[in-house]
Amino acid sequence: MLVSAASLLLLVWVFPLLWAILVSLKSENEVLAYPPNLIFEPIAQNYKDALFGDFSIVPSLVTSTIVAVSTTFLTIVLAVPAAYAFARLRLPAKKTLGFYTLATQMVPPVGLVIPYFLILNRVNWLDTYQGMIIVYLTFSLPFAIWLMVSYMEDIPLEMEEAALLDKASRLQTLWHIIIPQVRGGIAVTVIFVFLNAWNEFLFAVQLGGNTVRPVTVAMYNFVSVEQTLWAKLAAAALIAMLPVVIIGIAAQKQIVKGLTVGAVKGGGRR
Amino acid sequence: MSNEREKQRHIHGSNVSRRSVLKAGVAGAATLAAPGLLIGRAHAAGEHMDLDSFMGAGIDWHMADGAQINIGVIPAGYFKNLEAVLPDFKTLTGVDARLEMIPPGQIRQKAVLDLSSKTGTYASHSADPMYYQLYVTNGWIDPLDDYLGNGKLTDNKWFDFEDIQPGHRGATSVDGRPYGIPFDGEATIQIYRKDVYDAAGIGPAETLEEYESNAAKIHDPDNRLWGCALRGFRGAGQNMYIYPSIFRSYGGEWFDGDRITVDTPEALGALEYYVKLLNNYAPKGVENWNWPDIADAFGQGTVGSYIDAHGSAAVVANPEKSKVVGKIGFARWPKGPSGKRVTSIWNWSFPINGALTDKQKQATWLFNQWAGSREVQVATSYAFPGAYKRTGANRASLWEDPKFLDLMGKFGHNYVQAATESFANDTDPDWRPRLPQWPAVGDTMATAIQSALVGQATPADALKDAQKKIDKILKT
Repeated sequence: MLVSAASLLLLVWVFPLLWAILVSLKSENEVLAYPPNLIFEPIAQNYKDALFGDFSIVPSLVTSTIVAVSTTFLTIVLAVPAAYAFARLRLPAKKTLGFYTLATQMVPPVGLVIPYFLILNRVNWLDTYQGMIIVYLTFSLPFAIWLMVSYMEDIPLEMEEAALLDKASRLQTLWHIIIPQVRGGIAVTVIFVFLNAWNEFLFAVQLGGNTVRPVTVAMYNFVSVEQTLWAKLAAAALIAMLPVVIIGIAAQKQIVKGLTVGAVKGGGRR
Repeated sequence: MSNEREKQRHIHGSNVSRRSVLKAGVAGAATLAAPGLLIGRAHAAGEHMDLDSFMGAGIDWHMADGAQINIGVIPAGYFKNLEAVLPDFKTLTGVDARLEMIPPGQIRQKAVLDLSSKTGTYASHSADPMYYQLYVTNGWIDPLDDYLGNGKLTDNKWFDFEDIQPGHRGATSVDGRPYGIPFDGEATIQIYRKDVYDAAGIGPAETLEEYESNAAKIHDPDNRLWGCALRGFRGAGQNMYIYPSIFRSYGGEWFDGDRITVDTPEALGALEYYVKLLNNYAPKGVENWNWPDIADAFGQGTVGSYIDAHGSAAVVANPEKSKVVGKIGFARWPKGPSGKRVTSIWNWSFPINGALTDKQKQATWLFNQWAGSREVQVATSYAFPGAYKRTGANRASLWEDPKFLDLMGKFGHNYVQAATESFANDTDPDWRPRLPQWPAVGDTMATAIQSALVGQATPADALKDAQKKIDKILKT
């Protein structure tokens, strides 16, 4: 009973994906056929076109990788110590600061486009990697800090006190005691931050350009004013999904652990 | 001199290929220092004539040598073709122009953001004709008569601005002054299944009334053939693309003095027609259909007729996507009760960003002029070796060029005639209300039209409501 309910749910979830896979293997003509052909000769042409055709998404995949990996790396490097400070140190105005950290998450992203555009333009960072990564940090960092704090707070204080008694410094404690304990939390944060940076569209299209053109923007090449090339679009989307899927699988164990341990329900900003 | 130009144009028109354009570019790079020599060589070596015909313009193409400009465009086949011949522009002018492909849904915001903050990121962009009032009112772009009238910058005998489709020039002008150089544009025409119409013993509609009765005669949803479809999706460029034509052909006027009127009896007649037609004879869900969806359905043989841009012929007559190739007929917009046929004057054009330096402005003007020139229009349309053939070339003279017509004629019955006659007789610059507040007005109207279509409001109430909102928009 439970199994059949679960498979039904899974089917609902997986249907769009299956559909996209089928579409990506059909010719443009077959995509629109009614009734849809379930039996057809699969072709790889759409993947070839998406990768090597006129509107190749390969350069954009490279861009997306640079942006998403850098954003994720910097986020973790900065968020872990910050979260530790929020969880353990006696900071002045800790509550206010904690709230302020989240406040930037409360503004609808579209309201930030114009300020970001003007600031980046002033420092000549429009359509640059550093500009895009810094903008992504402004929303990934608060989210990561907030997420990591809950993991850090779950670690028994005694473990840390033991380390401090053994004359470990704060940083040593963080490195040797805390981080191994919150590895799961870090993995979860990595996934969410990477996913959000990888799938981001609004800032990418407004603040990017020819140099920084992530795959979410490049995919629009297949949605032209003249027509929508569904099969190539599906192929491009599936290719763009791969890195996220790979990272997801690699960190799956940690995620499941993270879900049971902490407060990770619902995603971050998309 | 002008004789010689005539000759070159003639030769060029009859014998240009992508390879010759490229070769000309390479050869040109080597010999640009002595343009006089080039003209002399033109007749000896037929392959070099393309660049020579540019050199025939009495301007210094190298006036902005070394400048770098960004041009924002949408990812469309015609701009892809332009990008392919762009290296020739560098060779000709020494200007490094880069095209940036921006999704069609975002290009307007991105351009407005750039223009309003005067960042000068985009020297030019493929502009929506309906945005010129906004740009000009704010002084964001330069009037082009200053450029066109300056003999140092333009040789109009060569460029022949007046050859660009008059409807498109009108659409990119404000108070009689030109602000954009149209690159690719369209007319709206009737597209129908000739085989189905023939079997039913009917021809393309002469009037809107007949269009409806035609749809009724072929409507057979049980056998998956619906009578007709028009854009139903909500948006300034979607349902507010097709409704304005009906409104104008019902005799509607957008302006009453300074006021915009959208709830007149003519407006009501037009909206009632649109709602009734689509509810009776269009496939279910047409309120979410935009032009690609309509063309896809027509290509699959499930829609008997639609009215849309002449360029969509390229989709429905493409054997890779369509099952009705060889069965398609074309005709002008049906006449409305006022006796008028009104097509869209939609086109993508290139303005000049007012926030640029003088040198960049020169470079941008060279680009606009180059892209709009007959030579580049030819090189990116019938002479383009790639699979994509442009239908929206900007020049009236191209529609008299046998090579272009040869290609266009392949789309189906009466295509060339329907398109040329529409361009010549049916274009109407006041097709949509041209005013700086267009984005908000267009959006308000789009919502009203869709709510009437899906029955959330009666056409009369929807229009009254829209009128109130528009009055408010114009007051602020």
